[in-house]
Amino acid sequence: MEGLFYMAAVVAVGATLMMLTRQNAVHALLYLILSLLAVAVIFYLFGAPFAAALEVIVYAGAIMVLFVFVVMLLNLGPRAGGLEAAWLSPTVWLLPAIMAAILAGEIVYILSGPGLRTAPAGEIAPVQVGLALYGPYLIGVELASMLLLGALVGAHHLGREARSKPETKTHDVYSDVAGSDSGGDLVRAGSDRTSGAA
Amino acid sequence: MTAQDLTALLPFIVVSAACLVVLIATAVRRSHAVAGLVTVAGLTAAFGLLPAAASVAPRAIGASGAGALVVLDGYGLFFIGLILAASVAVAVLAYGYLDRQEEHREEFYILLLVAVLGSMVLAASSHFVSFILGLEILSVALYSMCAYLRDRAISLEAGIKYLVLAAASAAFLLFGMALIYAEFGTMNFSYLAAQMTAGAYPDRALVAGGLALMITGFGFKLALAPFHLWTPDIYEGAPAPVTAFVASVSKGAMFALLLRYFSSTSAARLHGVFLVFAVIAATSMIAGNLLALLQNNLKRILAYSSIAHMGYVLVAFLAAGDLGPEAVTFYLVAYFITTLMAFGVVAVLSPAERDADRLEDVEGLFWRRPVLGALLTLALLSLAGIPATAGFFAKFYIVAAGASSGIWRLIVLLVVTSVAGLFYYLRVLVAVYSQPAESAEPAPRLPLASGVVLALLGILIVWLGVFPGRVLETVQLAVASLRF
Repeated sequence: MEGLFYMAAVVAVGATLMMLTRQNAVHALLYLILSLLAVAVIFYLFGAPFAAALEVIVYAGAIMVLFVFVVMLLNLGPRAGGLEAAWLSPTVWLLPAIMAAILAGEIVYILSGPGLRTAPAGEIAPVQVGLALYGPYLIGVELASMLLLGALVGAHHLGREARSKPETKTHDVYSDVAGSDSGGDLVRAGSDRTSGAA
Repeated sequence: MTAQDLTALLPFIVVSAACLVVLIATAVRRSHAVAGLVTVAGLTAAFGLLPAAASVAPRAIGASGAGALVVLDGYGLFFIGLILAASVAVAVLAYGYLDRQEEHREEFYILLLVAVLGSMVLAASSHFVSFILGLEILSVALYSMCAYLRDRAISLEAGIKYLVLAAASAAFLLFGMALIYAEFGTMNFSYLAAQMTAGAYPDRALVAGGLALMITGFGFKLALAPFHLWTPDIYEGAPAPVTAFVASVSKGAMFALLLRYFSSTSAARLHGVFLVFAVIAATSMIAGNLLALLQNNLKRILAYSSIAHMGYVLVAFLAAGDLGPEAVTFYLVAYFITTLMAFGVVAVLSPAERDADRLEDVEGLFWRRPVLGALLTLALLSLAGIPATAGFFAKFYIVAAGASSGIWRLIVLLVVTSVAGLFYYLRVLVAVYSQPAESAEPAPRLPLASGVVLALLGILIVWLGVFPGRVLETVQLAVASLRF
């Protein structure tokens, strides 16, 4: 039990450090997902399978989806495919693969091992979480919904397209950079096609 | 939830409802007037419902015992009332200010109402969960409010700076809370208080670390030195009504929570914590007043002055007994009125394309716009603590509270730095009363509603300075309910 915790914790801290130090936004994001998965394993070990599932679905899952959307919206050029192949050298994927394998091994071990699921504080089932949230702690749920409303309205206002500006300056900057330097990250690599279609 | 719980929560419900009404009305048809009216009406109605909420006070909402998330007692309701009243002033000033903008204006009121709700939760919070929820509601709304005028680069810069730094400070707070929770196993303030006063904590390092991290988070939100670096940039970049909100409501709500947290857990009496706060208060007073001398921008001067003022409030916070919290609360009331007034004058003077925050903008203001010039003078005199203004009596109260608990070094520093502070207030006043430059651009017309609000604030400053009795009684009543 303790050994499993420390292994997952080391993976979490290591993945977070790697995420902070990566130059490439995509690599950093993948490390972040790994870190979130490690935290999910820790939640599971402490008898909160529901929180663990949420961590995987909401954080790792939702962030992944958002990321895919961003890549799609960036309208990748044909050159990006070649870049992707160049990025996938073993030095890049070996460490995260080992970290992910550790987590996967832990999960398999927990699920197959006898008696390991009894956490020190007992197991908290989804029903209990739901009853607490929509019972005595209803005000917390309502406040969280207002928090999301505020974030939504703010994002809507700030993200709205500018009214009368035909072309924003950022695109020009990106296309200039992409012309001179082809080894950049996805954002730059993709912009060779967007510069005209802004 | 019982009917009594709902009665106690009426101000919260009304503010949330007003927020949704503005949202739906805007979705159907955009109208700046409707959005502004609903906002002011909602805030006023919530204020009017405070007596109803007070009739069932004190009332804890949430699970029974340690699970109580918010507690609506006299103290919380007093600050909620203060927040609502200040927000009405901000909404009215924002209406006149945004009327000159071509941006979509209605979203501002939704964000403002969300931010007000967050501040109200902070003022009533008695639990780490509601603390973080309230703080995040307030911060998330403020990010977009700071960056609201998207055509201005400086406004966007303020929004991004606030986003990054507020997120970092929230991380500090959360980590501190986690350490304290790990030690005591409860997140409720009064339960923490019971254990801390009993001295039942085996691991002092965890508690000290947790408190240190939490103080860092508080210090950021209140812009106390050395966590003040964001303040001038955000004050300068944010639209003037938003700056007024950040300076008054957001800080006031945070201080209300700080006072409740530390006075209920009596952690401020621990020697180490006391020392840390004393050092923070001293550096805030020195840094705020000295750095303000170097500024040429009215909003930046007021930003540094706000750092110094938070230092003054912290001196009162460190004073023992009932006098300390009373002085804090009274000072915050006076500070709310004065700051709203100062930034309100900037807001009504601002033309459509930028904020009138350079010293040249107020040059000769008294000769061009005598009433606005006089009101700005009044606000600055109150900030400087000149007799017959609210600021003087509030500062006097702090000195009295400090003297009664013998924190002489801080009191002396307060007096000395206040004198240094006179210089930069006088610099602005000199500009206000100098002969206007020939080419001064005409300031925009003063909207009627903004004029009424500014006049009321002016009357309040003088009234509070000359007859503080009524407000003082209310403050004493409110603080009395803080004792556990």
